[in-house]
Amino acid sequence: MIDLLAFLLAGTLAAATPLLFAAMGEVVVEKSGVLNLGIEGLMASGAAAAFVVVASGGSVGAALSIAALAGLVLSCVFAALVLVCLAHQVAAGLAVGILGLGASVQIGKAFEGRTIAPIARIDLGALSELPVIGRAFFGQTPTVYAGLVAVALVWWFLNRSRAGLVVRAVGESPSAADAIGYPVALIRFAAIAFGGVMAGLGGACLTLAYTPLWADGLIAGRGWIVVALVVFGAWRPGRILLGAWLFGAVSLLELALQGVGFAIPSQLLSALPYLVTIAVLALISRDPRRLRLDQPVSLGKTHVPRA
Amino acid sequence: MIQKPFDRLAAAVLGAALLSGASASLAADPITIGYVYPSPAGDVGWARELDNGRAAVEQALGENVESVVVENVPEGPDAARIMNQMASQGADMIMLGSFGYMNDGMKLAKRYPDIDFIHASGYLLADNFSNFQTRNYESAYAAGQAAGYVTDSNDIGMVAAYAIPEIVGLINAFTLGARSVNPDATSRVVWLNSWFNPSKAQESARSLIAQGSDVIFSIYQDTPSVVTVAEEEGVYVVNTSSDMKSYAPNHLLASMQIDWSDYFVAKAQSVIDDEFVGDAFFGGMADGAVSVESLSDDLSAEQRQTVEGTIAAITDGSFHPFTGPLVDQSGQTRVADGETLDDAAITSMNWLVEGVQTKLPN
Repeated sequence: MIDLLAFLLAGTLAAATPLLFAAMGEVVVEKSGVLNLGIEGLMASGAAAAFVVVASGGSVGAALSIAALAGLVLSCVFAALVLVCLAHQVAAGLAVGILGLGASVQIGKAFEGRTIAPIARIDLGALSELPVIGRAFFGQTPTVYAGLVAVALVWWFLNRSRAGLVVRAVGESPSAADAIGYPVALIRFAAIAFGGVMAGLGGACLTLAYTPLWADGLIAGRGWIVVALVVFGAWRPGRILLGAWLFGAVSLLELALQGVGFAIPSQLLSALPYLVTIAVLALISRDPRRLRLDQPVSLGKTHVPRA
Repeated sequence: MIQKPFDRLAAAVLGAALLSGASASLAADPITIGYVYPSPAGDVGWARELDNGRAAVEQALGENVESVVVENVPEGPDAARIMNQMASQGADMIMLGSFGYMNDGMKLAKRYPDIDFIHASGYLLADNFSNFQTRNYESAYAAGQAAGYVTDSNDIGMVAAYAIPEIVGLINAFTLGARSVNPDATSRVVWLNSWFNPSKAQESARSLIAQGSDVIFSIYQDTPSVVTVAEEEGVYVVNTSSDMKSYAPNHLLASMQIDWSDYFVAKAQSVIDDEFVGDAFFGGMADGAVSVESLSDDLSAEQRQTVEGTIAAITDGSFHPFTGPLVDQSGQTRVADGETLDDAAITSMNWLVEGVQTKLPN
């Protein structure tokens, strides 16, 4: 039972990490008023690129850089579509997402089904050996802690920094920001690029630390969960963190309950994480006023720059 | 001519290559065999073994065959389109590598009586439509014996995709094998409800290990996901389809290898000889279609002898893994003492034997 608790706790933090990275990127993108639905493809490309680098003998640092680059390149394609061509954000996001999924297959083609040694867990001696909490808090891979740092940094950026205020202003009213002289397109581009880098890193966390193997379809819908998480967390980094933990915990609980032999049909248990997502979304939407307070007003709307 | 197109969209290009290839070598007049795999042929796994069958055909029949391979074809309209393309461009035989290709394949077989089909895991038959399956329960029983020997907690964890009869049969055979050498052994199953989700498979294995399983049985996972977790956590693991020793050098207990080479070669030869018949192939150890590989050195000489004795007895037909008395979970006797299950009962198995702790989802 103790082992099971330790597994749930450690597993939840690990499972949430790839989601956290991508969600921290997406929240900044959405706060700038742009909806990027291509996260799934960005994560897949980052995951494949990082895996290929390590499987070919490269270092973890190089793998992370390449993954970030993969996400960046794809997000630049998205940015070009929505900021330069003024394409519809939903359609452009979906297109880039599909492009990214295809690219990931191409990148990982020669490495299909291969495995690598995962990033080493940190070892703090006695602390890491503590029952239940040892492995969860003091024995994770460095990516897990980096994910938490990312949440803190993004929270600080959005709520405490001047640049964050500008990003939010652009997301609330791009025409007003434009009128007082902010380069709306440039700011949105920076946000999209940041989102791409973070999604690429999120994918890399998956293949380098969480599931250290590559197979087509490995992302398995996580990019969509990220999009849901940002809404779920009402565009607030702290709540998104809670959402990611909740999702991780419920998806592991399903497996643990099955092993215990709980008399609930396994198909229902498999649907549990998604049912919980729907339930929480329904709950937080009960008060539409509060949701509207958090949601960037011009989210998803194309901004036509002044002539 | 070995072709591995990048993806399904390349099928059109392929078709052209196929035509030019066929006309270029008219002198030898080779037959063309199309292969459709449900997943990419990686290092190990289901599609890898299908592709090894393809390689064996080319090896054995040399210039008499040409191959066209399309990997990672989802069941449904995509598969139908790709087989149609193969058929319209002059394939003589088409290998369909997944259960879900069955109905589309059968439609095509009716429209093209000159093309012969071999189909994995299905049950439909026609004059030009054969199906093939393996008796993986045979190797599952033998590997289960090894598991029964090495388990200390008497708790075997299994990671399985869906509760279909074939997988239920494997769970039963494995559990029966384990209990034949260790009556206290029990097993439990986590159903993934997905054919392909490596992360979830890994977490399932971790969850089972956290709950006390010290042998893990990875059922039809096309990647070494579960096997690598077992190696990392230091518990024994048995897997299906391919030998995954290299992914768990210290903790692989056994691999349940499948081998389509002889069957594919025989079928291809029958197409060349114009003697193809639509029949059902249920290949076991006696046919060389199923075997136990990389049996762990951690077994004692005596234990190894028992497992190898079982394999020999299954191969020569003197022992059948589903021999009564077999009791199901509710305590009801399903097979009387001394009787054995027939093939029809094995391929439609929908009950779990005593000793499996998990209930079937229904």
